[in-house]
Amino acid sequence: MSFALGATAAATSFVFVTILNTIGFAPALIGALAFGGIVTAVQGLVIAYFRANPIIVSIAANILIYGAASWLTGNETAYARTNPGDEFLTHTIAGVPVEFLVFLALTVLGQIILSFTVLGRNLLLVGSGLPAAEAVRLPVVRTISLAYLWAGFYTAMSGILLAVRYNQGNMDLAVHYDYDAIAAVLLGGTSITGGDGSMVRTLVGVAAISVIQVVLLLHGFEVEWRHLVTGLIVLVVIVLYSGRRAFQQ
Amino acid sequence: MNLKLLKPGLRPYLILIVVIFVLAAVDAGHGRFLTMATANGALQTFSTFGLVALGLGLTMLIGEFDLSVAGIFGLAGCVALLTGASDPWIGFACAVCIGVALGAAQGVIITAAGIGSVPVTLGGLLISSGIAYVLTHNRAVISDDVDLAMALNDEVAGPFSVRSLVALSVFVTAAAVFSGTRLGRDLIALGSDRRAATVAGVGVQKLLISSFIFSGATAALGGALLSFSLASASPSGLSDVLVPAAAAAILGGVSLVGGTGTPFGIAAGVLTLTVLQSGLNAIAAPPFAHDLATGWILAIVAVLDAPYFARRLIAFRKFIRQAFEYAYKR
Repeated sequence: MSFALGATAAATSFVFVTILNTIGFAPALIGALAFGGIVTAVQGLVIAYFRANPIIVSIAANILIYGAASWLTGNETAYARTNPGDEFLTHTIAGVPVEFLVFLALTVLGQIILSFTVLGRNLLLVGSGLPAAEAVRLPVVRTISLAYLWAGFYTAMSGILLAVRYNQGNMDLAVHYDYDAIAAVLLGGTSITGGDGSMVRTLVGVAAISVIQVVLLLHGFEVEWRHLVTGLIVLVVIVLYSGRRAFQQ
Repeated sequence: MNLKLLKPGLRPYLILIVVIFVLAAVDAGHGRFLTMATANGALQTFSTFGLVALGLGLTMLIGEFDLSVAGIFGLAGCVALLTGASDPWIGFACAVCIGVALGAAQGVIITAAGIGSVPVTLGGLLISSGIAYVLTHNRAVISDDVDLAMALNDEVAGPFSVRSLVALSVFVTAAAVFSGTRLGRDLIALGSDRRAATVAGVGVQKLLISSFIFSGATAALGGALLSFSLASASPSGLSDVLVPAAAAAILGGVSLVGGTGTPFGIAAGVLTLTVLQSGLNAIAAPPFAHDLATGWILAIVAVLDAPYFARRLIAFRKFIRQAFEYAYKR
């Protein structure tokens, strides 16, 4: 589990806007993806190679990212000069925002990698039992590092989409994303102890949370009810899941 | 290098001493760091998240992780001001009651349903901060009781204030109970090996629920103290306490797999972070220096604690030796 992905997404929005303003859209896209991937993969390498605790490493990374960002940016917001190249990301195709299509495509791609490739199989096996995975000589270090690299790419993509939507890079953009994301993944039934989970189910979790929040908003509830209802639903679903698992056993 | 000094038992105190020496060396006799003001600043920050770190550290000690402390901290801060307008004692009491109630509810769910503490307390975190938003209608709560705020923050007995003395006395009480009664050993047994603890006759469920009650109560007390001493509280402004509290507990020698750690160790971990912060302020370091220093210290601790660290170190030495031999032969 990582507590540094929100910070990574926010920092990526900075990297993206900075390269966008100096060079152009395509280099910005590549640079931002590389940034998110490398920052997260380095954590994965430390975690995999030394078997360091992922929570401690990601908290350290979170603090370092915020520290480095306030050092390099002086706590300011980087505004993107309007650039015709990135317009299509904010368009809609047949009423569907392109951002959503990107998200959908990445989910499908992720599910394909998870279900049909050796990497995906290894990920689930390493998650279900590290000692067993080592005993059968799975490439544990490589698998864990690649999982982090992958998470880094996806996080970077969310940073890019944020930067494009708000036309700026800002360290406050992804505040609370960590907890919302963990809530959505848990709602999707991914096991917190590892070894079980799927991208499509996570998509359902994300959809459930966003639909509930939109419905609350449309029914005139104030914003403050959002947190409370999300929390209650997360708790209820988790208790129900565990009840079902215990029943199956 | 004596690796024993780097093991969790003594390490928190060692890191604290090293941080103080390094800051004193960087200050280089300007007399900016070793002052009453720095000590006072460090202790004031100590009282804001020290109590949260104590409760969170205790749940980490038994192999759980209470994410909800950040939410309870903020909620209790708001409740304390909302209910304590006429009499601050009522505010403190209500705040701590809320912390106890939420902690107990989470503890019961965790033990009764047999779910991990991270998902349950994530729910608790979202719910408690949600209640705070609803109670305050998403606005800051302001108290008129400036005298109380002054009284809590005024310096008494050198660098101390009423606020930091309250926090320190909770730590001392916890440490006394921890080392002087069976409770401390039961907690360590629970964190080391739950099945063995059950067999040995430790009341596992009762102890687990009590730990979550304790962490809810300390987080609530910390939140109430902070809002009374600021004379204001907001549902969102208080939520940045989880990361420093977890960092402090980890620096304090509490292992995330459970079974190691002491209240005084956690106090040393909190002091490391707060001394670093107020010390860096005192020597006029830029604000990000604190983040970078904390992040690196934490990263190094993570690697030192890692189960494969020794193995990788031996492999690295072997590699260096072979490289030397190879170069020598040629």
